[in-house]
Amino acid sequence: MAALPAPGRVLKPARLGWLTAALVAAGALCVVFPLFWMAVTSLKTVPEIQRLPLHVFPARWSNLDNYREVFQRQPFGRFLLNSALVASVAALSSAVVSSLAGYGFAKFRFPGHAVLFFGIIGILMVPFQSVVVPLYLWINRLGLLDTYPGILAPDLVSVFGVFLMRQAIEVVPSDYVDAARIDGAGELGIFCRVILPAVKPAIATLVIVKFMWTWNELFWPLVVVNSPTMKVVTLGLVSFTNMYFIEYNLVTAAAVVSVLPILAVFLAGQKWIVRGVVMSGLKG
Amino acid sequence: MRGARTIAMAAVVAMALAAPSSWAQPKKLVFWTHWEQNPEFNKFYETRGKDFAQKTGYEVQVVTIPYQGYEAKYLAALMGKSGAPDIFMGMTHHWCGQYDFCDKMPADLAKTWDENLPKYIVNVGKWKGVRYGIPIEHGNFQQMYIDADLFKKAGLDPDRPPKTLDAWLAAMKKLTVLDAKGEPTQVGFALRHKGHPVGITDKFLPFAHAFGARMLSPNLEKATTFANSAEMVAALQFYADLVNKHKVASIAFPTPEDAFGQKRAATIFRESWFFGWVKKNAPDVAFKVYALPCGKACPGAGNLFPWTNMVAKTSPNKPAAWDFMRFISNAKDDLDQHQAQGILPVWSANLESAYVKSRPDYQSTQEMLKQPVPPEYYHPKSNELATAFGEAVVAALYGKGQPQPLLDEAAAKMDRILKD
Amino acid sequence: MPPAYLKRQRRAGLLFVLPAVIYFGGVFLVPLLESVIGSFYRTVPGGATQFVGTRLYVKVLTDPTFWQAVGNTVSLLVMSVPVTVVLALAVALGLHRLRSLKARSAWAAMYFLPFSVSLVAAALVWQWIYDPVYGVLNHALAALGVPPLKWLQSLDLVRPSLALVNVWARLGFDTMIFLAALQAIPAEYYEAAAIDGAGAWRALRRITLPLLNPQIVMVAILELIFNFKVFDTVYATTQGGPAGASQTVIMLLYDTAFKYFRLGDASVMAVFVFGSLLLVTLLQWRLFRRQVEY
Repeated sequence: MAALPAPGRVLKPARLGWLTAALVAAGALCVVFPLFWMAVTSLKTVPEIQRLPLHVFPARWSNLDNYREVFQRQPFGRFLLNSALVASVAALSSAVVSSLAGYGFAKFRFPGHAVLFFGIIGILMVPFQSVVVPLYLWINRLGLLDTYPGILAPDLVSVFGVFLMRQAIEVVPSDYVDAARIDGAGELGIFCRVILPAVKPAIATLVIVKFMWTWNELFWPLVVVNSPTMKVVTLGLVSFTNMYFIEYNLVTAAAVVSVLPILAVFLAGQKWIVRGVVMSGLKG
Repeated sequence: MRGARTIAMAAVVAMALAAPSSWAQPKKLVFWTHWEQNPEFNKFYETRGKDFAQKTGYEVQVVTIPYQGYEAKYLAALMGKSGAPDIFMGMTHHWCGQYDFCDKMPADLAKTWDENLPKYIVNVGKWKGVRYGIPIEHGNFQQMYIDADLFKKAGLDPDRPPKTLDAWLAAMKKLTVLDAKGEPTQVGFALRHKGHPVGITDKFLPFAHAFGARMLSPNLEKATTFANSAEMVAALQFYADLVNKHKVASIAFPTPEDAFGQKRAATIFRESWFFGWVKKNAPDVAFKVYALPCGKACPGAGNLFPWTNMVAKTSPNKPAAWDFMRFISNAKDDLDQHQAQGILPVWSANLESAYVKSRPDYQSTQEMLKQPVPPEYYHPKSNELATAFGEAVVAALYGKGQPQPLLDEAAAKMDRILKD
Repeated sequence: MPPAYLKRQRRAGLLFVLPAVIYFGGVFLVPLLESVIGSFYRTVPGGATQFVGTRLYVKVLTDPTFWQAVGNTVSLLVMSVPVTVVLALAVALGLHRLRSLKARSAWAAMYFLPFSVSLVAAALVWQWIYDPVYGVLNHALAALGVPPLKWLQSLDLVRPSLALVNVWARLGFDTMIFLAALQAIPAEYYEAAAIDGAGAWRALRRITLPLLNPQIVMVAILELIFNFKVFDTVYATTQGGPAGASQTVIMLLYDTAFKYFRLGDASVMAVFVFGSLLLVTLLQWRLFRRQVEY
């Protein structure tokens, strides 16, 4: 593994250090503001949200009425469970299949590897709206409507994952792989014992990103889910908007509820993310 | 990787446990609706479904589809051989006209409905003279809501509303309050200017009909000389002038419902469900409901979105589905269901019930229904046509052009759509 | 290399990529082909489909509404993609300068947070922020003495407003990619440059940017694809309005397929989207990728 430079080595000269830090901090606060606004709106009552002049903070910070109503109107707890299950399985299966594919593309030369790789990247360029009906009909024929496998169908492998893992594995020195081969290890054994440990951060990144992405998906679950017990969090969220109006107090509360689990996952794995993306960044 | 393996196994087990077990459940009729804002109305089907189950063994399961994206979901489901609902709520001319997804209503049931619907919605649920669907929304035509307090403050009598468009405009001018820069802080009319052009068209049509214009020819086959007729141009000019010339309406205001609820707009044209919303979300607004003002003609009870319940052709439970529809096709069920949600019932007989008489829009509804039925546009391509038309309306509101050329262009586009 | 070894190599490589290839082929390729085939058919009233050859291609590609949507999309792209890439780069450079690792992680996490919110929720919150009357943005502007703007309800501002939402949603993700790449550049390069007397700007141009080229190209491609395909943001807020000013190709595709029931036309648009993205991606790849001497 290439040696990482010592953290904190900065570009000389560092005269503008304070200004840079201030700008970065200001930018971060601006970026977080809409989320802060979302959280704060979820603690307000409807008259508070629409009053003029505007009050930034809610009248009562302990006002959890919106949250109560969100859980009362729908089995939101069940939605969270469903989303967690779907996102976890998608993230794990992506990690496995993308790593395998990434290894194949990074370290092997076989006929058609360029076509296949760009073909996979090409999947990203297809608008989902145009494949949703044919895909739905297939899922229907297989009897997987309104089931977890049905919801998972388009999410099991991630194109970005293949991209990311390929970048990450490319950097692993081929000497290690060759050495293992000389020792008589099987290909799968090399994959499990040499490659995977070397790219753990990238895998962690992929798992987290894929988890978040699947968690926030709306269109496919909308089409394939019917029963209230199979709904995912995004469907629950969108039920607070309808043909006529948007209930901002409930939408924001539902959004906060749906973000909290991801935040937990994210913060827990944040260390891995920063190190993980390092791997993908090296030598594109 | 240990942890991952355990999680994966747990996931598989969970999935197996959660797989729906279809062998232990009673028979079900699946009912799809996207009327999320009317939960009591939807629950009624399930409640009655339990009674129905005692007779026939079929329960009713109501599935609420998010309105956003419901067309995609309906299309995919109805195209598949299984997975489609048994009964679904939508517009007849789309699902039975453009597509052939609907089952024809049995003659006896069709007769019952033909005989018991008010004149103006007899055609709702029919395609080419054949009945497929049952209308569920009466009173989905717009009426005029006024803020009585704002009227009084402006020196107008809330009990004597304007009856003509000219009188209405004069009132609007009195009800508009401008600030120092000449921009309105309170407008006379809460205008719909956001969202999909189809909605914009829906809100503009009462004005168009009041000027004696119509969007399409009576046989719905031509747009030019109708969508861009002199009357339509006058109507659109009137509408655009509200924003650009008289400033009695504003495109910088929030949604019209919020504007009215916040007492920033004195009048709004909305359907009968609106007063329920006002009572809940803006309880301090003292409102009254009146018939829409007339111009050359009276707008009448018109609507662009006739919601109906239909039975899917691919449903394996068609006879049971129609039996359930028969089961609830009577005056009492109609009254109970609509009353639970606070909306107007559909049966003519129920229009004189105590419930309806006690509603604030009773008089105005009677008045609107006495007016001649306005043009209907129940064409399979209604969405696309209304979108093309709505784009001209929005452009005029935003001052992006003059009504005549905008409507000429829209009419040409609409003809292209019709010819395709 | 002995031929048997090469053969084993090829087979192994193929087997490793096979699960992914089979998955994508099965799940996406078949529906994609069905959709492409569908572009040669039109749906007639009644629901049947009729083969019409390239007629729909002619119809869609000569429709001014379609090209207006393309224009809107390109305008959105031009506003979002360069801004996202440049901002992400700037933020990454700024974060990289921070000496404290804790501070860097904390601020970086804040930039990444928007990624955790679903696009629909984000769009709705932003819509509320943009509200001309109740929105906090106009409120802040008023405090600075600026008159309120119509944002999403303005013909001129609607696209920049939507572009801002997209930039906001994607910034953190791209920043992470750049930040990681920056951290991988050996410090010796900068030390050598400093010895040669190069200032901060020259070092940036001569060392940092060229070394970051692969990531810049990758991010630019990903952002292009994302912004072209973005749907939830527009659908949840403006629905293509006002007066079609924010109607992107994907919005038009959705409406054409599901509101106007013209699946054939929608398939033509999908083919157009795919073709355009492929073309632009390949162009970007060819023109901007540079082999870097290490």
